[in-house]
Amino acid sequence: MTTPIVEMRGIEKFYGRIHALRGVNLHVSKGEIVGLLGDNGAGKSTLIKVLSGAVPFTSGEILINGRTVELNTTNDAIDAGVETIYQDSALVPQLSIARNLFLGREITRGPLGRLDQGQMNAVASDLLRRVGITKNIPPTTPISSLSGGERQAVAIARAMYFDSEIIILDEPTNNLGVAETQGVLNFVRDARDKGHACIFIAHNIHHVFQVVDRMVVMRRGEVVADDLSPKTSTIQDVEDIITGEHMAA
Amino acid sequence: MTDEKTSAPTGAAPPREVDFLRRLSATPELGPAILLIVMLVVFTAINPAFISLNNISNALTFTVELGLIALGMTLLMTSGEFDLSVGSVFGFTAVVMWTLINSTALGMPLAFLIAMSVALAIGAINGFFVTRLKIPSFLVTLGMLLVVRGSALWLTSGFPQRTWDAGEQWLAEWLVGDFCIGGAGDFCTGGLRVYMSLIWFVLIAALLHYVLTRTRFGNWIQATGGNPAAARNRGVPIRRVKMLLFMLTSALAGLTGIISSIRVSAANPNSGTTYELEVIAMVVIGGTALMGGRGTILGTVLGVLILRLMRNGIVLIGVPGLAYNIFIGAIILGMMALHSALERRHNEGT
Repeated sequence: MTTPIVEMRGIEKFYGRIHALRGVNLHVSKGEIVGLLGDNGAGKSTLIKVLSGAVPFTSGEILINGRTVELNTTNDAIDAGVETIYQDSALVPQLSIARNLFLGREITRGPLGRLDQGQMNAVASDLLRRVGITKNIPPTTPISSLSGGERQAVAIARAMYFDSEIIILDEPTNNLGVAETQGVLNFVRDARDKGHACIFIAHNIHHVFQVVDRMVVMRRGEVVADDLSPKTSTIQDVEDIITGEHMAA
Repeated sequence: MTDEKTSAPTGAAPPREVDFLRRLSATPELGPAILLIVMLVVFTAINPAFISLNNISNALTFTVELGLIALGMTLLMTSGEFDLSVGSVFGFTAVVMWTLINSTALGMPLAFLIAMSVALAIGAINGFFVTRLKIPSFLVTLGMLLVVRGSALWLTSGFPQRTWDAGEQWLAEWLVGDFCIGGAGDFCTGGLRVYMSLIWFVLIAALLHYVLTRTRFGNWIQATGGNPAAARNRGVPIRRVKMLLFMLTSALAGLTGIISSIRVSAANPNSGTTYELEVIAMVVIGGTALMGGRGTILGTVLGVLILRLMRNGIVLIGVPGLAYNIFIGAIILGMMALHSALERRHNEGT
């Protein structure tokens, strides 16, 4: 097994008296797509928020490339190479593709933090081509004019540009059509092939099976399976683990 | 709004002329610009005195004072918040400054700085309640409106403060001085009298337009209003952005109140009442989205001119001044319908 890029060790999280994460261990390696599965309330979102710096954890340790890191803010996580692509909250509809790509990391020059729009547009155009958007979409196009699949592609392009080693995709195929879903799955495979470590969260197990190398299942704040392969497991097996049916059988 | 040109990505590229018209129709400033031109033409046709230099000079004086508050409010509303306390801050800041000058030995510059600090502090308190205590800005600034207005009345026992001591002081000259272009004599006969408030308005409008459309902070303002969760996830300090904008809006309201008090030679604790609604109307008529994410300083300048020239114009053409609100309400409804339709078309890429 290759050395993990990211390791979460014994992560505990309390929301008041609610024990949301119970000693969770998770690791993802370079060039690996890990599917994170579980029912509502299983703890997937909390775990992802912890790794993306959006929520502080109560105890435990996070290592990136073997070094312990403090992820107290989303900026900390981005600086550490963790890019999170949320289902609805990744992009600003009113802003252009280029401005979204560089949001929080704008290229500036001159007084008052003047945007270098020429440079930002040039990079955005190149990135759109790299993620396979071949239609003639100017980088000044507002996000609100793009389809759901194109929006996810822009979010993924952002992760690739900033060389994020770890890309977290939270329900990236929600509300997408068949063709757009396949496009997003291709983007994820492409990111994996370029060496990124990906954590893929989706309610649709069929989508997960199409793209991941390994599956981790959470239930009630705990990891109950962490080495399921889509090649050796069936969808029914995984569903049983998610619901706890396998324990009853 | 961004300063970038936009186009929809669907299908084959349209002919250049069609693309230009499509982009033009999606511009939020188009509607107010057309309305302003129509107003100018109609008012001038009915009463040519409307376009006289004397009338323009008079109309612009008060127009830009209220417009200064609208400029700050534009950025605040673009970030998804608004401030109902600006009218009270307008009255209170001037009262604080002139109370200090009249009842102590403080000079005007120091009293001015103290009064402006009070205005900034009011903005900071608004920002604190909204960003830290998570209370909607409507409720916070409504409460502040009452607190500040009550403070102004309490401080002055309800009586105006005299301000004619401003005299020829350099600060007063800088704030409300005037100069004559092309005219003669004390009354600038045959020329255009330009007040310093117009210069301040133009300079601040240009600066805020630059900040909103060309800078990183402008990008953060639009992102904060457009999708706060996305902005936060990208590391944009949305609390700090909103806090600064509350302070900016309050400071501009205070500055405007001081300018007005010197111009009219009185700091009335009741002055600025209902200005908040007129300022918000100016901003939304100009094309800034009430819910945030899209803002335009140029549109606000147009909105300011529309409302103030409307007030001036209807009097000149003989419509009773009391009917002013009917026109304003109708303009707001019409502009909202237009902006909504344009935005729908734009989002659908048609």
